[in-house]
Amino acid sequence: MRGTSKKPNRIKSMLAVDFRRMFTTRFLYIMMGICLVMPILILVMTTMMDGTVTIDPQTGIETVTEGFKNVWQTIGALPGEGGMMDMSLTGMCNINMLYFFVVILVGVFVAEDFRSGYAKNIFAVRSKKYSYVISKTVVCFIGSGLMFVSYFIGAVIGGSISGLPFDTAGFGVMGLFMCMMSKLLLTAVFVGISLLVSAAAKQKTWLSVTGGLMASMLLYTMVPMITPLDSGIRNVILCLAGGLLFSAGLGAASNVVLNKTSLV
Amino acid sequence: MREKSDKFNFCVRAAGAYDAKKGGNKVNAIEIRGLTKSFGNKQALKGLNMTVPAGAIYGFIGENGSGKSTTEKLLCGLMPKNGGTIRLYGKDYTNPDVRAKTGVLIESPGCFPGMSVWGNMMLQAANLGIANGEEEVGKVLKLVRMEGAASNKFKNCSLGMKQRIGIAMALLGDPALLILDEPINGLDADGMRIMREVLVDITKDKNRTVLISSHILGELEKIATHYGIIRDGRMLCEMTAAELEAGCRTYISMQSSQNSRAKALLSGKFSRVEEDESGHIRVYDAADPEEIVAYLYKNGIPVSEISREKIGLEEYYIDLMNERRI
Repeated sequence: MRGTSKKPNRIKSMLAVDFRRMFTTRFLYIMMGICLVMPILILVMTTMMDGTVTIDPQTGIETVTEGFKNVWQTIGALPGEGGMMDMSLTGMCNINMLYFFVVILVGVFVAEDFRSGYAKNIFAVRSKKYSYVISKTVVCFIGSGLMFVSYFIGAVIGGSISGLPFDTAGFGVMGLFMCMMSKLLLTAVFVGISLLVSAAAKQKTWLSVTGGLMASMLLYTMVPMITPLDSGIRNVILCLAGGLLFSAGLGAASNVVLNKTSLV
Repeated sequence: MREKSDKFNFCVRAAGAYDAKKGGNKVNAIEIRGLTKSFGNKQALKGLNMTVPAGAIYGFIGENGSGKSTTEKLLCGLMPKNGGTIRLYGKDYTNPDVRAKTGVLIESPGCFPGMSVWGNMMLQAANLGIANGEEEVGKVLKLVRMEGAASNKFKNCSLGMKQRIGIAMALLGDPALLILDEPINGLDADGMRIMREVLVDITKDKNRTVLISSHILGELEKIATHYGIIRDGRMLCEMTAAELEAGCRTYISMQSSQNSRAKALLSGKFSRVEEDESGHIRVYDAADPEEIVAYLYKNGIPVSEISREKIGLEEYYIDLMNERRI
């Protein structure tokens, strides 16, 4: 017998579908693999490039490449350096790049529902679209969390290979933990943004991804400021509240989009 | 154009009066009133009325672009309607209880191509909240003769197999209402034969209501108990198989070595005489083949073959579309 007529069952069954899909297909593991390798490459390569001087042949201006001084710089901004995202090597190549990968993960995951036609199976037995939105938010949030964990492991491996110090002076292990927690909770905002764009774009994967990246760009530049390495409980609470509010608000908007538009 | 005949007037009955005549107090599985849907400037449905009694196997017939698929997508809640009402088992079609009773195959099965047939089926079982998923999936795959292909990747299946998987998905959890959009389309002769057997099997359960749209009327005729013919976004007519049977004209089909002479002679005696594509002469409104044989024999024309025939759904439909019957 079918068990989707009751509200809790509808959400439960939708979660079962999304968890099964997320963890039995290769996409998440590929993304996690990329997230694992990325910090290793970043740390090793920037260490090799550290101190190299490049001269602009036209202007003759010399530029000295500055690499990371500390492994944890790939996770968050050092105390006193936190601000809006800068265009330096260390400012660009760090864990914050993962938010773009989160947008790609959500965009592809949702678009695949529509491209394969599976969305018909989902919505033909569900008149209320919120179960879909809730489930997608939860599962993509967990998938994103695993990508962050992969990155953290990769950073530790990369740090060991490159020989950079694991110095926690000025923020401590707790500060590092709070920073990671804050960043993790903030993914809910990016999941919400991407879900809304993907709900509107339906089967157009390219539109889901590019639209999601563009929509999240503004927030992306603010992430380093909200989540420095010396983050405290205040940062965690701020990111938790932001994550909840944004994912709820954007989820409600996604629900409206799904209700008002054609699903095939 | 032929005059309207009382014999066929049941066809132009307003769909709204249909259930009152047929259903009595019985709740209809599907009841659509004044359904409208537009895509930009194009109005796909123009106040469609439709009644599908519970337990019926309803053949939904219409030309390409007449609004069949749009109606089915609206029924499944896959797009918002502009106006009108849709009720399933007496409740609004958005009611979660009735939605959970619906199994659908719209256009193509919604499966992930890289996943196995079994994986896709188990995913659908999870989607429907079926507790004994493996058992149910095994059961429906057997019903659609796909138990041997469960480990195949969906993308490697033939079109016929994919359609059967789609039907199996729709059948999971024993839905009370099954909506199948063109399940036979695009299949080769063998695929069609298997699909026909599958459709016969799944429609054996008289408690299940099945709405099937198809262009292949010959196949539909074998299983449908009710018909609805849609044209240009409006329901042209609804009828039961018995009404169709009663309404379909009988004719005498005959062949002679002197067909043209025979036709000319018979045209003088009977109101409608035609020669069909196979070279047979059709005499409508003739009471008795013996009468024709005697008449032609008297005029020196031998009859090599004669039989009483009835026009099928396909011819009836073509006639209707050509506005010969309304």
